Amino acid sequence: MRYDSITEAIGNTPLVRIDPAVHGLRHIDLYAKLELLNPFGSVKDRAAWNMARPHLAAAADQGGQVVELSSGNTAKALAVLAGMHGLTFKSVTNRMRIPEIKDLLLLLGAEIEELPGQSECLDPTATDDPLTLFHRSLSEPDSTYLHTDQYFNSRNTEAHFTGTGPEIVKDLEGRAPDWFIACVGTAGSSTGVARALREHDPAVRVAGLVAAKSDFIPGIRTIDEAHEVGLFDPATYDTIETVSADEAIEGMLTLNRRCGILAGPTGGAAYFGAIRQLQAADAQLTERQSAVFIVCDRVESYLSYVRRRRPELFGRPMRRNSPADVSDAETRTAPAIGIADAQAWIGTGEPLVVDLRSPYAYAALHIDGSVNIVDELFEELLHGGLPFSHNRPVLLACPVGEKSARYAALLTRMGHPDVRSLTGGIIAWRDAGAPLVRD
Amino acid sequence: MGGQPLYLEPRLELRLRSLLDSPDLLHTLTDALGSPLNLVVPDQLADNLEQFRSVYGKHHLSGQVFLAHKANRSSALLRRLAATDAGVDVASLGELQHALGAGFTPDRITATGPKNPEFLWLAARASVTVSLDGRGELDQLATLVRKHALPRARILLRLSGFEASGVRVLSRRSRFGTAVGELDALLEAVERHADVVDLVGVAYHLDTTSFTEKATALEGCLRVLEECRSRGLRPRSVDIGGGFGANYLADGGQWERYTTELTEAVLGTRPPLTYGGHGYGLRSEGGTLRGTLGLYPAHRPVAGAAYLDELLAHPAASLGGRPLAALLLEHLYDLHTEPGRALLDQCGLTLTKVLEVRDQEADGPLAVRLAAKADDVALEEHGVLMDPVVVPRAPAGVGTVAEPVAVHLFGSRCLESDLITRRTVFLPRRPEPGDLLVFANTAGYCMDFHATRAQHQPVARKVAAWQEGDTWRWCLDDQYWPTTPVGGAQ
Repeated sequence: MRYDSITEAIGNTPLVRIDPAVHGLRHIDLYAKLELLNPFGSVKDRAAWNMARPHLAAAADQGGQVVELSSGNTAKALAVLAGMHGLTFKSVTNRMRIPEIKDLLLLLGAEIEELPGQSECLDPTATDDPLTLFHRSLSEPDSTYLHTDQYFNSRNTEAHFTGTGPEIVKDLEGRAPDWFIACVGTAGSSTGVARALREHDPAVRVAGLVAAKSDFIPGIRTIDEAHEVGLFDPATYDTIETVSADEAIEGMLTLNRRCGILAGPTGGAAYFGAIRQLQAADAQLTERQSAVFIVCDRVESYLSYVRRRRPELFGRPMRRNSPADVSDAETRTAPAIGIADAQAWIGTGEPLVVDLRSPYAYAALHIDGSVNIVDELFEELLHGGLPFSHNRPVLLACPVGEKSARYAALLTRMGHPDVRSLTGGIIAWRDAGAPLVRD
Repeated sequence: MGGQPLYLEPRLELRLRSLLDSPDLLHTLTDALGSPLNLVVPDQLADNLEQFRSVYGKHHLSGQVFLAHKANRSSALLRRLAATDAGVDVASLGELQHALGAGFTPDRITATGPKNPEFLWLAARASVTVSLDGRGELDQLATLVRKHALPRARILLRLSGFEASGVRVLSRRSRFGTAVGELDALLEAVERHADVVDLVGVAYHLDTTSFTEKATALEGCLRVLEECRSRGLRPRSVDIGGGFGANYLADGGQWERYTTELTEAVLGTRPPLTYGGHGYGLRSEGGTLRGTLGLYPAHRPVAGAAYLDELLAHPAASLGGRPLAALLLEHLYDLHTEPGRALLDQCGLTLTKVLEVRDQEADGPLAVRLAAKADDVALEEHGVLMDPVVVPRAPAGVGTVAEPVAVHLFGSRCLESDLITRRTVFLPRRPEPGDLLVFANTAGYCMDFHATRAQHQPVARKVAAWQEGDTWRWCLDDQYWPTTPVGGAQ
């Protein structure tokens, strides 16, 4: 397929049937609408393009800037679209909790402004909260901002009413599914698709999914946050259910590992919520029904999010010579040397002094003649074996003598005959009045 | 009453719980000393300090924990703290005199905030460390030291306006401190005054609950300290201020339920939850929620010492991603903290007597009038929503079943707006005149920071209480000394 512009590749995403052996539903065909296959990576490509398109040319003439309150996929799509049209893009957000997305936005040339955390000494009468100031700056008379306003812009919903919804009907041979399950973020996709499907068949049941209040799932709002969204109308949904972050990741893993669909946690939440919703209905059914859920975006951007919640998924094989293998007893009995003796020993010129602190700290002040190998790097080196010859005595130094003792024990275990830890570390060295230098 | 009662029950640790289980004592105290009455628990302060110390210990950090004195005027609390090894942060001449009088030696006192000449002179005379707002104050201090032949002054430089690379954080502007961008002129002034001042470190205080903003500031301080060292100065500490917060509520589920229902009340999909439909900063525009919830996050699972722990474990993005604690340690810097609310967590109660209970419209909340003004219980002033505990005067009669009630709590001033809270409060039983409503955990900023003598009404007296065996003992706040509990007040 040949296109003149990448924007033509937005939409017309596949509708893929989930293997019944995976979902276990006996009477319901479950389909995933693969919005992750949009060119910039998510369902938001449609809304971003539909909202920005009519204004891009005029904004480019004025040298304007596209702005949006977005912490993720809308920002990503808008950053690309702005760049393609010679505009800059700024995202203002207090929800940017995914480091990979933040980095990607910076890579794409976006400017990011983060709203500050809540005030600790609250002034209940304060009127100058940063979000209010932001809105004020948008409406200044000479403003050249193109604010796409995704939470209130009806063109967000429209993109799905004219695109995503009809595509689903077309792919189901002109029928609307019996069920539609979607996560509520801007409410644009769920509202637009629901409206399109219901025009076809008013009996379509629509389930909205929100995040549990104390939880965080990227791209999904909690019920309170949903109320802040202009496009959100509770009447759109037959039910509104809650999903937890753990459930979202569980759903995501099923899609990733068993269905070949590299969905992110939002898609995982939709899958999990869909199965939970449909299981009850399935037990009562005799005829066949169909259900559709949306896979919003891809897994790759969420590795740190998943790692924080499910570290065991990233379990790496044990590596030899790791300081973690050294017992506390070994550490306590590791060869060590006090400050005065260490000074005398260094004076003989024999030992190599290795400072395990970070390069910044080393640069600021260190023992004269020492070598800086930051502990992370030292650990890497030791996996490969002893980095010193046996006949070279070594004095290890860290801030308080704890890490150095652990490494001294490890090096001893690895067969080094004369390694010692500086007791009390650089801090004790300083407190004893021993000299520290800067180079 | 409109559905289930929406309780926001206070978090009560052992001491406060035990006090609330002593109705005779509480009634005796208010009968004798009046309502409102503040009650402080000095021993709790020492326990809280230990929690901060253990976080320091875990990260191998040295440095001082300074109580932000302004959070409570109590002498008992200050004297109890003087008996530990902690420090105190004073922000006025009176607070400095109070601290010196309570037994703090100058090495355990830091003078911060806006200063008048008398405050600055006493601070310099007594050799307490002075946290300086900027060049003007530095010049003023140096002049004072020279003119009055005072000892060399130990100074901290308060900084602000830290910038992160990559992402611009729209932090609230602070009117205190010197912007990092204007550092050069300040350091030149420090060098010029080298004959009379010693730079011991830098300080910041950010009014935010956000880890990333605080981490950015701490990284900025490390860079500034490095700049100081390269100029030949010898600073050795960073003072990161306070703002570690407190967890007020026992049950996170109650808090989540309440805030959701408040949202719905504002949107009009459930009956109001506040006096006059107040929205605490939220409002409805065409069925969509607008505004910002102006409330303290009363349920905070990570607060106080645990917050400090998490902050110290936070990776320093601009310095190789090592945890902040590791960087402080490696650079051989002491860490100073100035907790107020967090150090006074669970350190006190405010007792108020019920004067009148009146039915309003049918099925509506009861009007409960207290012998206290809104400014005597300043929880609302700080956006903290938390239920008072009912301590009945008479034990419940046999066979009476306590029914939950909704109430509005009014203060004793002749003023429409004198509401203890604008929230409709749910209580597990109907209070009666003579009962006490006890507000827990008010020692941090909610006892005397806002209290006035408007209308010739008294401000609350303060009592210090401690346990001897199973018995609670007490004395007036200013009668308390660390010797009191052991020897008895006589």
